[in-house]
Amino acid sequence: MKQRPMLTLEDCKKISAAAEAEARKNNWNVCIAILDDGGHLLHLVRMDGATPANARIAVEKGRTAAETRRSTANWQERVGKRPEMLRMPGITPVQGGLPIVVDGVGLGGVGVSGVQSHEDEQIAAAGIKTLG
Amino acid sequence: MKFAALALAGMLAAFSAVAQQKPNPLDAVPDQMPFDVPYGMPIALQKAQAAINAAIADAHKRGWKMNVAVVDPGGRLIAFARMDGAQVASVAIAEHKARAAAIYRRETKVFENGVQAGFNYLLTLDDIIASRGGIPIVEDGKLVGAIGCSGGTGSQDEVTCKAGLEGLKR
Repeated sequence: MKQRPMLTLEDCKKISAAAEAEARKNNWNVCIAILDDGGHLLHLVRMDGATPANARIAVEKGRTAAETRRSTANWQERVGKRPEMLRMPGITPVQGGLPIVVDGVGLGGVGVSGVQSHEDEQIAAAGIKTLG
Repeated sequence: MKFAALALAGMLAAFSAVAQQKPNPLDAVPDQMPFDVPYGMPIALQKAQAAINAAIADAHKRGWKMNVAVVDPGGRLIAFARMDGAQVASVAIAEHKARAAAIYRRETKVFENGVQAGFNYLLTLDDIIASRGGIPIVEDGKLVGAIGCSGGTGSQDEVTCKAGLEGLKR
């Protein structure tokens, strides 16, 4: 039978702590959400000063990346070229969500919201990088 | 058709006669507002995480797999963690319990008790969840958020919530 790798709570804590450190280093207050391969929440932190909206947006960016195995920046680009893509279900096409892919398998996604979109993505990338 | 309408009218009249005989407990008008806790600033992330860590440590000791959510006074997530192997449906339930406890300023057990006592109208109120395992977090007399747990029975969820709140006292 095929084996399926999964993110553990320890993995999530590592990803989240690294992402939070990247945000703190830049004095950014953001929300960081980590979701599993089915788009269900595994871990979330909203730094003091980040808004309630950031919490919802981070989850939706992370969900988009997790379920589609693509970055939300990629979705943003696709929607820009083909606006009909906005009709795709469950898509939040705004940069700041990255899929977590290990050995070619999509394990989930990280979504960040709170600063400029490219900075959100920078934070998400710093988190995922700790997985090695 | 006419006969059916008359029969229905008769039934309604009989029903309201019965209703008049029995006092309705919901007719009582208390002097005080119930659960009148003022809303404060949202709980700090560090404290929210301390509550979640304490809740998870206790669940881990018991061999339980829980989802634990902490929300702000408006019911939006501040911190969340899913233990390895915890039930997926409970991701949404944990958040819902926390949100209901925050925006209604009371433990979700209050709704569970109410429904059990026959007050089914509670289930028609907005965003209710009638199951224990959601508890407000009160700091210096102000509601700063709420904790919600889900993964086991309601009673297990409640134990995990209370362990989380204990973690705030340390």
